[in-house]
Amino acid sequence: MAAVTDDEVIRKRLLIDGNGAGDDRRINLLVKSFIKWCNSGSQEEGYSQYQRMLSTLSQCEFSMRKTLLVYDMNLREMENYEKIYKEIECSIAGAHEKIAECKKQILQAKRIRKNRQEYDALAKVIQRHPDRHETLKELEALGKELEHLSHIKESVEDKLELRRKQFHVLLSTIHELQQTLENGEKLSEVEEAQETSMETDPKP
Amino acid sequence: MEVFQALQRLHMIIFSQNVSPCGKFLAAGNNYGQIAIFSLSAALSSEAKEESKKPMVTFQAHDGPVYSMVSTDRHLLSAGDGEVKAWLWAEILKKGCKELWRRQPPYRTSLEVPEINALLLVPKENSLILAGGDCQLHTMDLETGTFTRALWGHTDYIHCLALRERSPEVLSGGEDGAVRLWDLRTAKEVQTIEVYKHEECSRPHNGRWIGCLATDSDWMVCGGGPALTLWHLRSSTPTTIFPMRAPQKHVTFYQDLILSAGQGRCVNQWQLSGELKAQVPGSSPGLLSLSLNQQPAAPECKVLTAAGNSCRVDVFTNLGYRAFSLSF
Repeated sequence: MAAVTDDEVIRKRLLIDGNGAGDDRRINLLVKSFIKWCNSGSQEEGYSQYQRMLSTLSQCEFSMRKTLLVYDMNLREMENYEKIYKEIECSIAGAHEKIAECKKQILQAKRIRKNRQEYDALAKVIQRHPDRHETLKELEALGKELEHLSHIKESVEDKLELRRKQFHVLLSTIHELQQTLENGEKLSEVEEAQETSMETDPKP
Repeated sequence: MEVFQALQRLHMIIFSQNVSPCGKFLAAGNNYGQIAIFSLSAALSSEAKEESKKPMVTFQAHDGPVYSMVSTDRHLLSAGDGEVKAWLWAEILKKGCKELWRRQPPYRTSLEVPEINALLLVPKENSLILAGGDCQLHTMDLETGTFTRALWGHTDYIHCLALRERSPEVLSGGEDGAVRLWDLRTAKEVQTIEVYKHEECSRPHNGRWIGCLATDSDWMVCGGGPALTLWHLRSSTPTTIFPMRAPQKHVTFYQDLILSAGQGRCVNQWQLSGELKAQVPGSSPGLLSLSLNQQPAAPECKVLTAAGNSCRVDVFTNLGYRAFSLSF
């Protein structure tokens, strides 16, 4: 037990003030000077030694207070750093979310761009074709011409029909006349033949 | 042996990539029929070493090249030489993983087996669409494994598929230069866009093949032989032509950009107005596929990966630069 605590004590003392300069030495000197002062005789020397001891003591107290303040400061620094660390973590998480949002927005924007480009491509093709109104007008004009021409065609055909019919009538009357003339000739031939046969007959 | 492996790596082409449903793994399929699984979370973590950029496991999946891969929430489906095989993501990291099932769509002739160039998942119907060398689109129901429809129309083999979500329609683009829209409910072709017939985007010296398709409901981007163009589907008009000379092999919409990659080292980022926003060089001389890991379960692995005519898969953590490359 004692050995362990001795080791601990030695380690602590080495850690605090290993090289022997500074506070540890001051405390040793104080103890030595206290012992000397107790053993000293004369009044003035004792008084000056007393003053010196008081000053060393105050120096020791001063350095102790300084170390305490530094310790306090370190604690507060740690708290401060903890706070900053938490804030930074929050902002990292926020940035991650923003990145995800932005990625979604990029996808959306790409879709929009694709739609616009498709629209542009179709629009280019459509532009190459002539305007719909013009084509409609041309169609109307062509339709009217077509109607007009068909009217003319009808009237010409009617005229043709009429003339054909008249010719037909004319030709048929000519044929009839021819027929009657032929019939008449035949009749007169037959009559002549009958007359000659009648002339030859009454003899016997 | 080492020489053989080095030669193999030199001539490797990575055709397809796919991300696992948990977002942490990337599967890549190459022209030798192998699939390699890379761990994205390990490669992206702060203690990544050289070994994390190597695959965790590589296995021989097909006899021919693996042209296309898709993932459902539990399976990885890979297709290449005429067959579709399914692998369980939970088992895929173990050695000696066997496929869960394999299916072959009904082909007209059994003599030649046409390759499957593109796979597409239709989540609403829980079905898979396959398209490739036989010029047809086959639909397979994932629950029962039966092939429900075969859509005819293309006159030459089909390169790529895309799904238009709102009206469940599938777009397919092929070697015949036409992009056809199919309605899945009526199993008929609703719209045909013959890209090479439009003067603004056709480039006859490159051919008329459509190498890549991507759709965003009303809009579609397609490229390949003709120039990379943005189309408005309802009116079937080409609206913007992207001034890229090299034919593009993969294109996708991402946020407000269009990402494309093809012949040439770079991943190109375009705005819908036709301006080139950025060109980020990768490590392969030509790129064949791009994959964006947007799985919600792993937001830290949100990367763009690009792979093509080499054994490396470039990883872009930020669209502005190439972070590192994974390698077979």
